Parts: sequence; C-alpha cells; structure tokens
Amino acid sequence: MANMEYNVPSERWPAHPETATLEGKNKFIGFWTFLAGETALFASLFATYLALKDSVPSDDHLLAADLFHLELAFVMTMFLLTSSLTSVYAVYHMRNNNFSKMQLWLGITVLLGLGFLALEIYEFIEYTHLGHTFRSSAFGSAFYFLIGTHGFHVCIGLVWITLLILRNAKRGLSVYTAAKVNTAALYWHFIDVVWVFIFTIVYLLGVM
Amino acid sequence: MAEIKQEPISKTKLNYIRRERTKEMRQQMVSFGLMIFLTFVAFGLVAMDMDPSFVIPIVIGMAFLQVILQFYYFMHMKDKGHEYIKLMMLTGMFFALAFVTTFIYIVWIGAPIQ
Amino acid sequence: MASATKKRGVGSVIWDYMTTVDHKKIAILYLIAGGFFFALGGIEAMLIRIQLAVPNNDFLSAGLFNEVITMHGTTMIFLAAMPLLFAFMNATVPLQIGARDVAFPFLNSLGVWLFIFGGIFLNLSWFMGGAPDAGWTSYASLSINSPGHGIDFYALGLQIAGAGTLISGINFVTTIISMRAPGMTYMRMPLMTWTTLVASVLIVFAFPPLTIGIFLLTFDRMFGSSFFLVETGGNTIIWEHLFWIFGHPEVYILILPAFGIFSEIFATFARKRLFGYSAMVFATVLIGFFGFMVWAHHMFTVGLGPTANAIFAVATMAIAVPTGIKIFNWIFTIWGGSIEFTTPMLYALAFIPSFVMGGVTGIMQAAAPADYQYHDSYFIVAHFHYVIVGGVVFGLLAGLHYYWPLMFGTMLSEKLGKISFVLFVAGFHVTFLIQHFLGLWGMPRRVFTYLDGQGYNTSNMISTVGALMMAVAVIILLINIIITVAKNQKVGRDPWGDGRTLEWSLPIPVPYYNFAQTPLIRGLDAYWIEKKENDGKMMPAESLDDFHMPNNSIIPFVISLGLFVAAFGALHFASGKEWAIDAVSDLPQHPWALWVLILGLAIVFISMGVRSWKDDLGYYVTKEEVLKDLEEQERGAK
Repeated sequence: MANMEYNVPSERWPAHPETATLEGKNKFIGFWTFLAGETALFASLFATYLALKDSVPSDDHLLAADLFHLELAFVMTMFLLTSSLTSVYAVYHMRNNNFSKMQLWLGITVLLGLGFLALEIYEFIEYTHLGHTFRSSAFGSAFYFLIGTHGFHVCIGLVWITLLILRNAKRGLSVYTAAKVNTAALYWHFIDVVWVFIFTIVYLLGVM
Repeated sequence: MAEIKQEPISKTKLNYIRRERTKEMRQQMVSFGLMIFLTFVAFGLVAMDMDPSFVIPIVIGMAFLQVILQFYYFMHMKDKGHEYIKLMMLTGMFFALAFVTTFIYIVWIGAPIQ
Repeated sequence: MASATKKRGVGSVIWDYMTTVDHKKIAILYLIAGGFFFALGGIEAMLIRIQLAVPNNDFLSAGLFNEVITMHGTTMIFLAAMPLLFAFMNATVPLQIGARDVAFPFLNSLGVWLFIFGGIFLNLSWFMGGAPDAGWTSYASLSINSPGHGIDFYALGLQIAGAGTLISGINFVTTIISMRAPGMTYMRMPLMTWTTLVASVLIVFAFPPLTIGIFLLTFDRMFGSSFFLVETGGNTIIWEHLFWIFGHPEVYILILPAFGIFSEIFATFARKRLFGYSAMVFATVLIGFFGFMVWAHHMFTVGLGPTANAIFAVATMAIAVPTGIKIFNWIFTIWGGSIEFTTPMLYALAFIPSFVMGGVTGIMQAAAPADYQYHDSYFIVAHFHYVIVGGVVFGLLAGLHYYWPLMFGTMLSEKLGKISFVLFVAGFHVTFLIQHFLGLWGMPRRVFTYLDGQGYNTSNMISTVGALMMAVAVIILLINIIITVAKNQKVGRDPWGDGRTLEWSLPIPVPYYNFAQTPLIRGLDAYWIEKKENDGKMMPAESLDDFHMPNNSIIPFVISLGLFVAAFGALHFASGKEWAIDAVSDLPQHPWALWVLILGLAIVFISMGVRSWKDDLGYYVTKEEVLKDLEEQERGAK
C-alpha cells in the first residue's frame, strides 16, 4: 500500500500542493472539464427558462414581475458572493500549509452557504403559498427547475465541503487532501458564477 | 503518488512565495470589492425603474464582467497552466450563448418572446 | 498477475471484472456488452425488414412495429455504437500515449457499469409492459401521449447510460491532456488519440443538454411538471432543440473515433505515413466545432423561419469541407503505398465510397427547401444508414479485426473475415441504396406497412434480402470469433508486422501496468521510427523503478446498481396519481415507488460518501516484479 505524508513542514510543502502529484493534476484538469460541461448544462436550463418565462395557462397565475422581489435576491447574492471569498481564503491557507485556518474558512463558507440555502427555501415556500408551484404552469416548472438545480448544486457543495472538513480533521493536510479541497473550492466558485447569471437573468430582468 | 517530490525550499524562496501569495490575496480582495460594487449597481439600476432597453445590456454586461473576475481571480484562471481551461470555458460560453439565443428566437415560428 | 494462464475459479474472474479499474479489462467489458446490444439491435432490424418485405404484412402489429423501430435506433446509437467505440478507445488510447492507465480509473469503471445498467433497464421495458414507441428521437408531442411506461424506461435508461458516457468523456479528455509520455506532443499524437480527444470534448458539451432534455421529459411524465404540456404553457419545440443540440454532435461523437480507426488502418496497411497529418488534425477539430452549430437542420420543417433555416443550411454545408479534406488525405495515404489487403484494410477501403455517398445525400438535405421534400421519407433512412453503417459500423468491424490481437492476443481468421466482409458490404448496399429511391418515390419512414400497387414491393423485398445478407455476415463473424477463441493461438508483439504507433510496441498480452518504463517519443508513428532508425525497441524515458497503480473497487458497480434501483421508483411514482399526465394516470398506484426511489438514491450517495471518506492511495508495483516479467518476456521471445 502506498502511504501519504501528512502535515509536511513548510520547507517541503509545494508551492501548488493541489497539482503536485499526477493524480492532483488529473483532478484539476478533469474537474475543469466537468465545469465546462456544467456550462452547457446550465445554458440549456437558462435557455429553457427564457423560452418558458411567463408562459402560464390563464390570467390568474402570477408572472415574474409580480413574484420576484429584489431585496431577497440581493441578500442571497451577498451571502453567496461572500462565501466565494471565504473559500478563496481557505485555498490561500491551504497553499500556505496552514491547516487549522483552512478548516476555519471552509467552515465559514459552509455557514454562509447554509444561510443562502435557508433564504432560498423561504423564497420557495412563499411562492408556493402564492400558487406558483412546480406543477402550476410551464413557467413554474422552468423556474423551479433552474433555481432548484442551482440549489441542488449548493446542497451537494455543502455536503461535500462538510464531509471534507470532517474527514480531514483527523488527517491533516497532505497533497492528497489539498487536491480535494481545491476541487471543492472550484465547484463552490462555479456555483457562484451560475448565481451571477441567475440573479441577472431571472431576477433583475424578471422584475423589469 | 505518495511522496512529495519537493526539494526543500530555502527560507528566502519561501518568503518570496508567501509575499506573492499575499499580493494575490490583495488582488482577490480588490476583485471582491468590484464584484460587490457591480452587484450594487446592477440592482440599483433595476430598482430605479429606468428604460429597460438601456438597463438590460448594461446589467448583462456587468454579469459577464463579474464572472470574468470570478474566473480569473477567484478560480486562478489568470495563472500559468490554465490555457486548456481557458479554451474549454470559452468554448462552453460560446455554445451557451448559441443555445440561449436560439431558445429566445426560434422556439416557435420565429417569434421572439414578448 | 503475469501468469494469467493460471486457472482461476469463475467466481473470482467475475469478481475481478466487477471491480476492475484496468482500462484493458474495461475495454473488454465494453466490447462484450456493446456486442450483445449490437446483436439485439440487429435482431430488431431484421424484424423491421421482415415486416416491410411484402405489402400489407401483419408479421408485427402497428404498435409493436413502433416499439421495434424505437428500440432499434436507441439501442444501436446509445448501447451498441458508442460502447463499442469506447471499447476501442479504452483498449488503445492509454497505450498510444504511453500511459499506465487512464486519468480516472475509478470513473472509467463507473462509466462502463452505468452504461450496462442503463442498457439493461431500457431493455427491461420489453418484459414490463411494453417498450418505448415514440421513435429514437422521442419527440415530446408523441412521447407525452404514449400510454404506459415505455417512454419512462427510455428516459430513465438513457439518463443512466448517458451519465456513464459523460463521465467517460471527461476521463478521456483528461487522460489525453495530462498523461502523455515524454515527447508525445499534441502534434505527435496518433489520429485515433486525436479523434478520441475531439469526440470526448463533444461528449462533454453535448451530453449535458441531453441530460436536461431527458430531465424535462422525466419531470413531465413522472413528477407532474408541464414543460411540454401545451395546455399549461409548455412548448414541445424545446425538446426538439435540446435533443438535436445533443443529437447532431452525437453523430460526430460516433464518426470521429471511426475516422481515427480508419486513419490508423490506412497508414498501417499502406505502409505509409498518414498523408497530411496536420490537415487531418485540423479537419477533426473543425468538424467537432461545426458539429455544434448545425443542429437545427434536423428541424427545417418545424417552421423556424427562413433566416434560421438559411444560417443552419450554410453551416451544414460547411462541414463538407473538413470531411472532404479527410477523404482526400486517406486516398493520398493509399496512393503509391505498398498495400496489404487484410480484412481491416478492406473495410477501410469500402468505407471511403460508402461514406462519401452518405455525405453527398447529407449535403442534398442541407438545402433547406429541398429538405421539405426529403423530410420523413426513406431517403433520410437511407442517408443516415449510409453514414452510420458505412462509416461507424465499418469502422467498428475494421477496428474489431485490427485491434483483436491487441485486446485478446489472438488473430481472427482472415479467410472468414473476408467472407463476412464481402457479405456485409454487399448486403449493406443492397439494403440501403434502394431506400434512397423508395424515399424519392414517396415512401414515408416509420410506417409499419404499405399498400400493394404503389411500386414499393420489389424495392422493399430487395432491401430485406440485403438485410439478410448482413445478418449472415454478422453470424459468420461470430463463428469466426468462437473459432478463434477456441483455437487460442497466441501471437506476439506487433502481430500485423507493420504497426506504427506505440500500442504495437508492447508485448502481447499487454502487462497490466502497460509500460515497464515510460517510453520516450521521438516523433509521429513512434514505434515505426524506432523500427526504421533503431533496433525496434522504444527508448525508456525513465529508469526502471517502483511505480504507482490504482486499487480495484466495487463502489462503481454499487453506485450504478443504486441508480438502477432508483429508476424503478421513479418509473412508478406517477402511476395513478391525480396530477399525472393522462398516459399514466389510470395505471394502478404503487405506494412503494417513492421509497424505492429514496432507497436507490441513498445507495448512490452513501457509496459516494464512502468513496470520498476513505483514502484510496493505490499501490506500488515493485522493480523486482517488473524485472521478473521482463525476464519472462525475454524467455518467451526465444
């Protein structure tokens, strides 16, 4: 069995620990390739949403301009943007071989992500009370599928990062765990990238 | 894969790397500030109820600007060794634009959405 | 491991294949499973031809005919052609670039098991209330109204198999980008590797839209949404777009690796360097890019408007240019070569005119106004069979004969191979050439029968006879395989004698670690260079030392099984619910459906969690073991 060296002294900690091994480099390239595929995935979702926006069977269904309010979207954006910055901090400390600070910033990222998710759930519940549901109209289906897929990505990201914090807590930092943390951080940034387009195209253009 | 094939880094080299990292962190802070600023302006423009034909292109442009900041600074796309990644993401973005454009204009008898 | 001839129990062999992460064994899994589905799709094709042999035939009922054509198309594209290509990609690409395995061996295994379970799920529909019957394109207006669970099997089965393909695509891109041996620059990669790279990039961008399209269909049919239900604001054109955004690149995903196989074969058996290598690479990339910009030519008659039709028509015609470059380069490769007419070479030679015919009818259809005439007629059927059989299936059969010694260490019989070649190629042209004319005479596709006295009788009979010839050819191929396996006459390194690329420099059977020492690549056709300028041995790029290999794992199998279980839950979720679409709302309710769905997904996510939690660091192959293997090879050579 191969062994893994944990908690290396900083003199022997590579400048780019996440890509120091072939496996790490593969992970890095493979994950970016996956993100390129995700671009096509979300493009299809945005396209479907734009095609079905405000497409409802009768006049008593609410439309985008009636439903969305900017305050909530703005607060959600702030949560997610800040969590993107905190995961940048985590990667910064990972590269500086500072395990405890990395764990701390990952933890903060998870908390901010949870805040975002809570607001999203609140928003969904509110819309459901107004009769705008997944089954009420094509507009509803497209809205919940787009935002829901993003929300599902947030959930996956949260579980993933939490699992990493827990599994690494006993192990510490190595080039193996560094690659894992870097990949999760990339995923989290990408979630934020998608959200930028969501708040622009769905919410900002929706209320106009 | 196990052993770190890393020659010991000298003290000065280590300090240099750390200084560079701190410099990068400063850039990331600036880009975060910019992203917050862009978000404020975008929400502000929409909240002010200005003419949509004026606001829509600006807001979409700012979204792309923000995403470029996210890609280049937060996701380190500006670093070396990201050429393949830039190519893939650019291709992805190009296809994305193609998909969205067709879905807006040609999902039904050439009529654009209202 | 080197002494694989040691007798092992059947159980341990099966367990070995279930847990393997070795790309060579995964290639064999793809070959067996893909071959099985190819036979299944072939039987369905025979049923179609028997039904259409004479007018007013009642061999199949109208409903059953719809199921058979749907399953024929779906099986052939998703479960036969693509997995068989993956078999050859897995068998060759890591060897061609000098890697010890693919970038993500675990994901490689996950890809093959997802495909197998997806394929099984899709075909279970035959025994569980009827197969899908809305055509392989499953247009939403039809599929939403299809009663029973047929379409649900289609949606869920393809979702699982498609996830496997996407994973494999990412894997191959990463492998080729990051695991090339020293000296293997991009412009020294064999064409098979190049086409695999471009096809994998296409997979990365084309499969997510299919995933979304299938999700929309799944949600509409099983979870009560209304993406395609016009009465609640839905729009069925969305499905057509999403399907063809995937579907058109898909044909390039199929044909490009076939082009790669042919390029290798032409160079090997003409004993010449591939003509215009850089133009070939450029054309491959260009075809890949254009492949994404033309999907709406499948939708000319939808009524997208003249502007859209014109744009997509011009883009479609543009693809002929890089494809033409390729055809000419192949011809110039053969030109003046010292040609050896082996079975793979015969398939490759037959491919050029056959594929060109399919390409020319493609350009005819690219003219949007003319396409209104061809649309939905047998002309279309003839066209796509000319490109897919004349291109992809010829490529697969050529690849099967060509790479058989590399994969199994034996040679298929050339004599039987040539007999089946003649029958297959003749049968192919007899079947499909006449269908062009049937289409132009007005016979629509996807009809289960036709009336007497319309002038279709003789032509349809000819077509059926051709199909029979192809079936006989495939049976002879099977006999050939059985005889070869039974005889088990082992061959050694470079069995064709003219191998040019790196994979032929390896001893056969290839050791599980591929390369004892990573080779140094000194140019295009790396092995050929060493044969001509040196002693025919690859120069090592590293000293002989311990190296790292990945661990086997059962988790990929478990994850795929979890999705398979979950699919049964999703399948029955909407049955009998009052919010469900008409097609399933009067079926009996299944209260357990939700729990099965949750159970299946729980298996998936828990296995993923376990995978993430455990350290999987692989193991080391020691220098001593490799030295022992090398000595054994040395002795075997003497």
